[in-house]
Amino acid sequence: MPANGEEIQVRRRRIAVTAAEVLGTVALATGAVAVLDQEAPITGLGVIYMLAVLLMAIRRGEIAALATAVLSVLSLNFFFIEPVHRLTISESENVVALVVLLIAAVVIGRLAATARERASEAEQRARLASARERDATILAEAASSVLAGGDLERQLDAIAAGLEASSDSALRVELSAAPPQQPGEVVVPLASRRQPGWLCAVAGSGWSREDLERLAEPLGRLIDVAHEGERVSSRAAEAEATRRADVAKTALLHAISHDLRSPLTAITTAAGGLRAERLSDRDRDEMLSVIDDESDRLARLVDDLLDVSRIQATAVNPQLDWCDLGDAVASSAASVRARLGDHPIEFDLPAGLPLVQADAAQLERVFSNLLENALRYSPPGEAVRVSGGTGGGKVIVRVTDRGKGIPPSRQAEVFEPFMRGRDGHQGSGLGLAICRGFVEANGGAIRLQSTPELGTSFAVSFPVARQPAAAG
Amino acid sequence: MSPSAQRVLVVDDEPQIVRGLKVILRDAGYEVEAAETKEEALNRVSARTPDAMVLDLVLPDGSGVEVCKQVRGWSSLPIVVLSAVGDEREKVRALDAGADDYVTKPFGPEELLARLRAVLRRRGEEDGDAQVVVGELEIDLAGRTVRRDGLEIHLTPIEFDLLRVLANHRGKLVTHRQLLHEVWGPGYESETHYLRVHFAHMRAKLEPEPSQPRYLITEPGVGYRLREQS
Repeated sequence: MPANGEEIQVRRRRIAVTAAEVLGTVALATGAVAVLDQEAPITGLGVIYMLAVLLMAIRRGEIAALATAVLSVLSLNFFFIEPVHRLTISESENVVALVVLLIAAVVIGRLAATARERASEAEQRARLASARERDATILAEAASSVLAGGDLERQLDAIAAGLEASSDSALRVELSAAPPQQPGEVVVPLASRRQPGWLCAVAGSGWSREDLERLAEPLGRLIDVAHEGERVSSRAAEAEATRRADVAKTALLHAISHDLRSPLTAITTAAGGLRAERLSDRDRDEMLSVIDDESDRLARLVDDLLDVSRIQATAVNPQLDWCDLGDAVASSAASVRARLGDHPIEFDLPAGLPLVQADAAQLERVFSNLLENALRYSPPGEAVRVSGGTGGGKVIVRVTDRGKGIPPSRQAEVFEPFMRGRDGHQGSGLGLAICRGFVEANGGAIRLQSTPELGTSFAVSFPVARQPAAAG
Repeated sequence: MSPSAQRVLVVDDEPQIVRGLKVILRDAGYEVEAAETKEEALNRVSARTPDAMVLDLVLPDGSGVEVCKQVRGWSSLPIVVLSAVGDEREKVRALDAGADDYVTKPFGPEELLARLRAVLRRRGEEDGDAQVVVGELEIDLAGRTVRRDGLEIHLTPIEFDLLRVLANHRGKLVTHRQLLHEVWGPGYESETHYLRVHFAHMRAKLEPEPSQPRYLITEPGVGYRLREQS
């Protein structure tokens, strides 16, 4: 492997440099002793070699110190102790001096080397500590992204952004199956069980493979936690949807049994009344109109239930075609008038509103419900107002009544099925739910604005579509 | 029953509805026959074609749409279909297959009788009148002029053609497809937005109150109708 070859070369060079330093130092010490030879007894001058040993111990460690000591003893013996230029020793006093020098050199070397190791250990510990601190910052950032919640996409984006920020843009995550191929980058896989991904360090940022591996594991775990969180919350949302559907179904069943039964009872009672033996013409007409009216009510309730069930099953399937909202409102007004009598309706719709793409029959149901609702809650004689226009890329039709208004606390729930005004007006309680369902299925929106004691306005809006080519 | 009474075939598998319809139609002077299935309806029509048919869209052995298609293969017998809210698509299919008009269940007797009268009259007046009067509107089909309260109203040629088609079928539904075909010709049957624009203009000219039309009635998603009486 190339890395190992390099390492071996580096070590060789270090050994060579050390050897040269040892030789040089010993040579220097020898020179110094030679200069001072006349001034002091030679055994005392051995101390100069001690300095050489000390120097090498500090600079190069124990082995270099030992080598220096041995070389020093040999040099001292060879150059300065009688007989000179021989490695034999004639005086026993000199032997003692040499041995003492050797022992002292070894001990000093050992002490100096230990001190040096301690220092380098401390330095490494400090480096590690600062790396840990950096890792901790990065991981804390990532963890807080996950703890902040939100959808999975957002959490993963936050992790990536946090990582870049907390590493001064040295690191990035790449959530892809294949490792990214940026030249010079150090790349390690994230240890995530749910998502393939890679932790990359920008070229020249000084992050080693080990540094990255230390981070890759906890980062991978955090990504798994984010996935797990998403799974749990989507399950919770499903459970909540199921619960709400159940509540809605129960309400539906309850309402059906109650709302269907009362017109049925009225009809059977009236039919029974028609069989009475002495029946005036007036009574007979009365009974017949009860049957008519209550049958109508039943029929509308059944239509409403059908619409609500289509909306709840998201089976609205609008048949989109170009529709004129003014036309839709007009035909709705005609059918509402036919049912509820001639209540005043004020039209203030500009001519030539843009056509919208919608289902004409469903639009008619929407405006019939809104108008009927407005008429029910209007004081007798007060006109219901239909206005509209275009603005902000939308075409809007408003149906406004001068009724009592809807208190803010109840405004959110009026679009829920079976929410009725509390004034005892008769309606299925489904009208506004149907309006919202149909409007939204046709790509529009419905909003309500209400001022207590002044009235309520429902605004139906559709985006202005590109208009079709003009008629030929 | 007078020998000249018109015969209406009621096709519905719901005996209570058939019972009610028989009473209402006989009271209005029609002779009534009933069939419960698609099969029986087709047999009766081919054995002795009635003057009109009232046809439920949902039959035990198939759809009323198929009855329309098959009957149109050999007869122009007027057909009024009975539809329900939620059946809009089936209703449009029946009209495309040749049904003449529809009523939505539940319907009042007057509504059904008005539709029947319109489809039967259409049959009797195949070539149309030269002059049609509806409320304050006088439409001179030969002279191509329209007056409201005696004052002439200018219509563009296309607007007049649209009005003419409706006047020829007054009281009766005319589908988008039929209007587009008769006025613009083959190939334009799905350009419904032409109609939206022209009807808005026509209402502005003809209706006393364009936002609350009395004459030109929209049948949402299906077509238009010129009101018979106002």
